[in-house]
Amino acid sequence: MRTPRAAAPPALRRKRRRELATTAGFLSPWLIGFAVFFAYPLIATVYFSFTHYDGFNAPTPVGLKNYVYVLTEYPFFWQAVRNTVWLVVAMVALRTVFGIGIGMLITKIKSGAGFFRTAFYLPYLAPPVAATIGFAFLLNPGTGPVDHILGRLGLPQPGWFTDPSWSKPSLVLLSLWGIGDLMVIFMAALLDVPAEQYEAASLDGANWWHRWRYVTYPNISPIIMFAVVTGVIQTLQYYTQAIIAGQVASGIAGNAGQQFEPGYPNGSTWTVPQLVYNIGFQRFDYGSACVVSLLLFVVAMGCTALLMRRRSGLMAED
Amino acid sequence: MATVTFDQATRIYPGGDRPAVDKLNIDIADGEFLVLVGPSGCGKSTSLRMLAGLEDVNDGAIRIGDRDVTHLPPKDRDIAMVFQNYALYPHMTVADNMGFALKIAGVNKAEIRQRVEEAAKILDLTEYLSRKPKALSGGQRQRVAMGRAIVREPQVFLMDEPLSNLDAKLRVQTRTQIASLQRRLGTTTVYVTHDQVEAMTMGDRVAVLKDGLLQQVDSPRNMYDRPANLFVAGFIGSPAMNLVEVPITDGGVTFGNSVVPVNREALKAASDSGDKTVTVGVRPEHFEIADGEAKSVSKDAPAGVAVTVNVVEELGADGYVYGSAEVAGSQVDIVVRVGGRSVPLKGDVLHVVPRGGETHVFSTSTGERLSD
Amino acid sequence: MSNTVTAGDRPGRTSRSGRGGVPSASGIALRQARRRKKLEWIAVHSVGLAIAVAFLLPFVFLFLTSVMSDSQALTSTLWPQHWVWSNYTAVFRVHGFGTWWRNTIEYAVLGTVLTVVSSVPVAYALAKFRFPGRRLAMMLVISMMMLPPQVIIIPMYLFWAKQLHLDGTLWPLIIPMAFGDAFSIFLLRQFLLTIPKEYLDAARVDGCGEVRTLLRVVLPMARPAISAVALFQFFYCWNDYFGPQIYSSDNPAAWTLSYGLQSFHGAHQTNWNLTMAATLLVMAPVIVVFFFAQKAFIEGVTLTGVKG
Repeated sequence: MRTPRAAAPPALRRKRRRELATTAGFLSPWLIGFAVFFAYPLIATVYFSFTHYDGFNAPTPVGLKNYVYVLTEYPFFWQAVRNTVWLVVAMVALRTVFGIGIGMLITKIKSGAGFFRTAFYLPYLAPPVAATIGFAFLLNPGTGPVDHILGRLGLPQPGWFTDPSWSKPSLVLLSLWGIGDLMVIFMAALLDVPAEQYEAASLDGANWWHRWRYVTYPNISPIIMFAVVTGVIQTLQYYTQAIIAGQVASGIAGNAGQQFEPGYPNGSTWTVPQLVYNIGFQRFDYGSACVVSLLLFVVAMGCTALLMRRRSGLMAED
Repeated sequence: MATVTFDQATRIYPGGDRPAVDKLNIDIADGEFLVLVGPSGCGKSTSLRMLAGLEDVNDGAIRIGDRDVTHLPPKDRDIAMVFQNYALYPHMTVADNMGFALKIAGVNKAEIRQRVEEAAKILDLTEYLSRKPKALSGGQRQRVAMGRAIVREPQVFLMDEPLSNLDAKLRVQTRTQIASLQRRLGTTTVYVTHDQVEAMTMGDRVAVLKDGLLQQVDSPRNMYDRPANLFVAGFIGSPAMNLVEVPITDGGVTFGNSVVPVNREALKAASDSGDKTVTVGVRPEHFEIADGEAKSVSKDAPAGVAVTVNVVEELGADGYVYGSAEVAGSQVDIVVRVGGRSVPLKGDVLHVVPRGGETHVFSTSTGERLSD
Repeated sequence: MSNTVTAGDRPGRTSRSGRGGVPSASGIALRQARRRKKLEWIAVHSVGLAIAVAFLLPFVFLFLTSVMSDSQALTSTLWPQHWVWSNYTAVFRVHGFGTWWRNTIEYAVLGTVLTVVSSVPVAYALAKFRFPGRRLAMMLVISMMMLPPQVIIIPMYLFWAKQLHLDGTLWPLIIPMAFGDAFSIFLLRQFLLTIPKEYLDAARVDGCGEVRTLLRVVLPMARPAISAVALFQFFYCWNDYFGPQIYSSDNPAAWTLSYGLQSFHGAHQTNWNLTMAATLLVMAPVIVVFFFAQKAFIEGVTLTGVKG
């Protein structure tokens, strides 16, 4: 039975107005940022996707022509989509598993824990350009040490970044080298599992599989979910490493404005974000580039919505 | 120093269907120590926070002295508050914690120093002034929280369960310290607690709340001797008053094998509202053990109520007997205080009669007090 | 279970000096448990060591190559014949390395400061104030956090380059950071939620308005979260490639280390020794900063873990 709400007395309304003004003041940087750097460009991207715009003449509306072009005529679109999906699946799955594994390992190491933590975390800190160039050198078939050692051991020496069927796995390897961020997250999550639950389980006669399935996994599954979704969104944006790896492998200069064969070798390292750069900034077809941008947006927001629905903890209130 | 008035003050949370505080009316005199007490959820903390300015007031008014402070922010009300968890700023020393409000108010450093040192002396905190809160014990932190309030020399002190986080012994000690401190300073104080012992020992007056409604506000003595309704009767006093539903007869109510005389108007009021029973309240210490000479309804059975002893608590000076008896056709639990030396055994049967003049009669339907 | 006890054995003790008798069953169990524990320790530490070595080896190889001579760098031998330390000075002499360094520091420092200053009040309001639309605002912040930059790059580039003529500089990257960064806001809010309301109440009763409460009471308590956010933002700017590529690639005077390194490699493709030296020089500052700020960093990453 609801008490009928009398209109708030004027003094209370004044107080509420004052509070609202304060709130708006505190939020103002973000409000402006949201409008100028999120809402406006989003709307503009949608708009441009329906126009022909080369950056010099005014944009002219062309209906769905850009969409048709991107989906049917532009040569690299579908390959980039396939590559990106492959990378998303492989990287997220492997990184998550490896991250949990390393996290569990690190929680079990007591002596010299600091050394191990640092060793596992360090590669994550390396700037992506530097890490990719370094990795590409190490895996370079001619001058890099890895194939040299494999040769000495009598093992096959793949072409790594120069071989179309090895280029993406090499990128995955690179991403596993940078497992540091997931290691820390999972380490914290694993340490948060209440020790009593393990004790109770061992009293109940649980073996390692039971412990994982009934104590560890249920406790860390929200973190796993979080890691997976953010991993997907991050991999959808995979750009720098793919481009640099292709450049290094193809041995072609990447100086200002100069083009190199993108997606080297054989288009195997094309990713969707690279399409935006190529179509927009190298072919000056801003309208079509926006089509790809929108595709990225829809997929990323879809994943975000999924995350928000399952993890209302993200929105935890006071 | 000033009076505090709650004038029909009401707080409804958005989306709630019942007010958290419902038309609260209390007039607190200048220098009075008023305790708000009640079970959790009764609205006592909310009322305090309304007075502090930390909760919106949806209806009614709150006045400090002559000023209407109902919608003023806390900083304009000239109040100081002691929080349950003390809320000492962890990055500041004790001295800085205590002087913080004065610094905000622009008081000059010398005076802040002097007032802080004075308060520290009163509270025995002088040697801790340069420590940070995490280096203090619970009791010391509590004193710093008090010091922070005293230094302000406000018109009203507000205290929100300041003793709840202390261990039992410290609590008793600190209780008396707070009470004497308040008497010495003479500042109007509104104190919230869920512990009725604290309420009864510290307050000039006690206000009992339940479900947002004020049940009774009175001195501890009066509240103990003349509880205004069933809830207050059962809440104040430990062990709680025995409350038993008994049928109405001529001239009184039947209590086991005795008739307890009850005021005629009260009886009339009860039966007028259609009740066949009233609820009789007797405190454990107001039972007499019957020894066959008291008047009894039926000549064969002894007077009073037959209580079968279940559990006996021996507390040294007295003992409390927890037993069951049959009254008006149903089994009820009865608690009786007995002398410490002559404690009955489990299974014994005691015959108890309420002492004349120490019975309370309440309406079964409304809970209101019927006897005078 | 029967315990076969012989003279000289006490229940529960391993009969190491088994005086000619069958050891007690509980003794066996204890020894098995100890052995299992030891095996586990060995297994965990050897696997850990192997992986740690595998993780650190790349740095070692990079370093070894960086001090090789030009000709040796083209071979795949592992150990440098001569230690050519002058490779490092050669990298610095390359036109622009100093400029890249300066630009990157400028970008990272300005970006970090602006981000922290603008994000803290927003996070505080989202954490502690009640207002209509709060849930919506949070959802929008999260959406912004998950947004790939390539989604909005076209209109943003056109805006900065065509309207404001700021292409060829890093300003298009720095200025937006004065308006809050979604990830920083999110992190800070998660932390601020854990600050009990009582501290804010005490501050308000002590006479603080909202701004003073934030500055004098909340901020000192939020130091770990702010350090973490600052570090994250610093590294984000330092490691950023896409942003500088879009906005400054036409103007070498505005290149950052990431973009410059990529061009350096292009110019010195066969000089792997120089390229590796440059690579390590770009990696080094980040690693150094990390060592000094480890605790804050790890704390920050766990805040992202989004517990509960």
